[in-house]
Amino acid sequence: MTMKCSRREFLGAMGMSAGACIAQPGLIRAQLVPASRVAVGVCPEYNRNVVDVLSTMFDQLGGLEGLVRGKTVAIKLNMTGNATDRLQYLTPEMSHWVHPQVIWATVHLLGNAGAQRIRLLESPWATAEPLQDFMISAGWRPEDFLNAASRVEFENTNYLGNGKTYSTFMVPGGGMMCKGYDLNHSYSECDVFVSLAKLKQHLTTGITLSMKYCFGITPCTIYGDKAPEDEPGLLPLGGRGPFHSGSRLPPKSAPPLVNPNVPKDGGYRVPRVVADLVAARPVHLAVIDGIYTETGGELPYKVGAVIKPAHPGLLVAGRNCVSTDAVAMALMGFDPMAGRGTPPFQTCDNMLALAEQQGVGTRDLRHIEVVGTPITKARFPFPPIVKSSQNRLG
Amino acid sequence: MTLNSKWVPMKWPCGPAEFARLKATDADAELMKVAEAWTQPSTLQLLKGTPVNCLVVDWAAGVPWDRAQQLALEPLIHAGRQLGISFVGKVKAGLREDLQAAVAAGRAAGLEAVILTAILDDSESRALGLPVILQQANDNIEWDVTTPIFSATSKVWPGANLKTIDGNTATAGPTVDPWADADSNGCFSLIARQMAPDKTLWLDIDPPWSTDTLSAESYCLAIGDSRVYGSRWIVSLDYRTRAGMLGGDSRAMGAWTRICQTISFFENHADWEAYRPMGSLAVISDFAGENMLMSGAVLTFLNRNQVQLQVFDRTRALAGPDDGPIEGLKGILWMDDAVPTAEQKSRLLAFVKQGGLVIATSYWGPPGVTPQRENWLFGYSIYSVLNGKFVVAENGVIDPNQLARDTHLLVGRRNDLARLYNPGRTNCYSSIHPNHLNQVIQVLNYSTGAASYVTLWVNTRSHSAKLWRPNPQDSLVIDGVPANEGTDFGLPPFSVNCAVEIEKLASL
Repeated sequence: MTMKCSRREFLGAMGMSAGACIAQPGLIRAQLVPASRVAVGVCPEYNRNVVDVLSTMFDQLGGLEGLVRGKTVAIKLNMTGNATDRLQYLTPEMSHWVHPQVIWATVHLLGNAGAQRIRLLESPWATAEPLQDFMISAGWRPEDFLNAASRVEFENTNYLGNGKTYSTFMVPGGGMMCKGYDLNHSYSECDVFVSLAKLKQHLTTGITLSMKYCFGITPCTIYGDKAPEDEPGLLPLGGRGPFHSGSRLPPKSAPPLVNPNVPKDGGYRVPRVVADLVAARPVHLAVIDGIYTETGGELPYKVGAVIKPAHPGLLVAGRNCVSTDAVAMALMGFDPMAGRGTPPFQTCDNMLALAEQQGVGTRDLRHIEVVGTPITKARFPFPPIVKSSQNRLG
Repeated sequence: MTLNSKWVPMKWPCGPAEFARLKATDADAELMKVAEAWTQPSTLQLLKGTPVNCLVVDWAAGVPWDRAQQLALEPLIHAGRQLGISFVGKVKAGLREDLQAAVAAGRAAGLEAVILTAILDDSESRALGLPVILQQANDNIEWDVTTPIFSATSKVWPGANLKTIDGNTATAGPTVDPWADADSNGCFSLIARQMAPDKTLWLDIDPPWSTDTLSAESYCLAIGDSRVYGSRWIVSLDYRTRAGMLGGDSRAMGAWTRICQTISFFENHADWEAYRPMGSLAVISDFAGENMLMSGAVLTFLNRNQVQLQVFDRTRALAGPDDGPIEGLKGILWMDDAVPTAEQKSRLLAFVKQGGLVIATSYWGPPGVTPQRENWLFGYSIYSVLNGKFVVAENGVIDPNQLARDTHLLVGRRNDLARLYNPGRTNCYSSIHPNHLNQVIQVLNYSTGAASYVTLWVNTRSHSAKLWRPNPQDSLVIDGVPANEGTDFGLPPFSVNCAVEIEKLASL
């Protein structure tokens, strides 16, 4: 089913936007962003059905072959936090990590569509260890992914990795937080970039969908708590606190901040970093695992958060990350057009809006074609984030 | 008289020696009363029905009130012996003559052994007429002079050592954000077990000074942190707890009950002490002098990373065809700068050729091998030899924590034997029945709060296991969930320690 708005509505919206663009020239690029198609699939469990549902969804998006045949595909996974942290007794893929079944199915379908090489990428917390080892420490079997397609590789992108130098990605238009970003070579040595994400919330940015995960493509050797002042560090130490708090600048070797005096508020800074990143390193395919997840935050526990298991039984995929996230937000019961102060953006700016301003894509559901299961039939409302005085989550 | 390895020791500070110590610290009148009361034989009723069967008392310190101390203790010792309690006297005498006189007085008063800090030769020891428990500092211990029961002092009181990333103190809890380490004497006990085999280590650690009563959990952890790793903590109660016990205070008595339950738990499972440590990594050192310092630090960090390991004495390891740690190992960390003997080299080379990994501070493998590097591993040269590898830390051991982390990765998480999820400040120790009938993984919680939602993963397949806890003492059957070539066991919330016993092992 599609959810296109009528021609009259579209033209009306364009007329209003034209006036807005005169007042705010930055919005011009936002209005030029392409409308996109997003697929929603119902998939109650992690089983062999995942590959069938995803296959149908990719077909509904126009198929993968034209996108990936003969190409090198990089897939950014979501494996945030420590490998040993769990929500209660749940394994991480049942709460806050993308599930191996979804990874396997995506890799398998990309391989079937002719991808020449598939690289699985993630920047595991505070370590340069091989990604496979990080997976093992979480109880995964990385060799399963090797069997999903030919030429599957792994790389920990939290440091220089297998590359000789970092790749610089300048943000079109100059950037909102940084003028550009230095990233692991795997993000430049690919023809197609896939964000494989989880449907969940985030304490800093309200939501964690296919865009927010790109925050993790930044290496902590450059953007981490203990990065040196001049050159990247050898090892990634700590997290990306400086992006949140502005506690320190990236090393001089990296592209500089647009304005070092911007607010120190994470709700201001992090959405802008995310918007910069998806503009500088475009996402060609966004896949969101919402079969099992959690509500209340992005990690299995965090001081002041109330995290609970959730079972939406959904998969979402799209060729544009902003539009995909907009549909995912609607499925979560949130308005992608919401501004700061409205859930899920009570304490942050709407990163979809910022990415839209960067020209990445539209968040306006009226301009997005939803295929597969309609939003109204698949909606799984997430409660607004509430903070608790308890440390431990139930 | 002989030393009894079944003794459950407890410090019993009292008498003039304790009065003098308290006066030197400007202690208040209440504490003086406690010291006085604990000199009275009637206080021994507190031990009735408990597993404590040996009291350690101050006997002589080479000071003027030594004789008064001994006279004050005589009624206590007499009454205690009627109750089946053994007494061990602590003697700190500077002169040999004083020592002999003090020990003779102890023997006459009914002491069954003495704790000495002076190293005596065999003839001197025999001349004393009482068994000797030699006490040394744990960071400067001479292993070859240890007595059948020997004691080590430690500056480490086990428990959570909380630090945030920025180094600020954080709130204690089983699972919070800040990085945290736990202080433990576990690795020292593991080393002692190897360096002084078939001997019993008594850890002498007093609780940290506090104006409040120390928690029951803190005491239980001190017991668990020693017993799990094969040593015994000399129970040492803080003054507030002892004062409370005299007055029947419910909190103090509750703590005492918990302490005794925890000791009983380990006494009831004394057979586990004969179990062998499990680990795919062997750490080899002579654990002497500077080597003790660095090897001890690396072991501590390996332990904090939940690496299950075995400890071997460099001077004895791999010395003969049947004496050594090769079988079942995946990696060997050769800690000392000293190169192996020819025989050791030969066995290590055979281990590497068969696919093993040896990590050392210098290369002593076959000549002509060109070293390689891994991009994720900084500061190491990797020499491939047939199916295995020699890995050399190019600049020696600079950062024991980094070496521990790198060692874990080099051996491979795939070779983990056990792992804790939501570990917080818990840690585990795996051991196996000498005939492989069952495996016991003991879990310790170093935080001040209960451990909850902890999952234990083991690399064996099992439908269920027995969970043992100090209170209640009976076992509970917990179901296993197949998980990545092993089994997950969700542990019910526990306070300080528990143990998972897995029978009919099916290692993968």
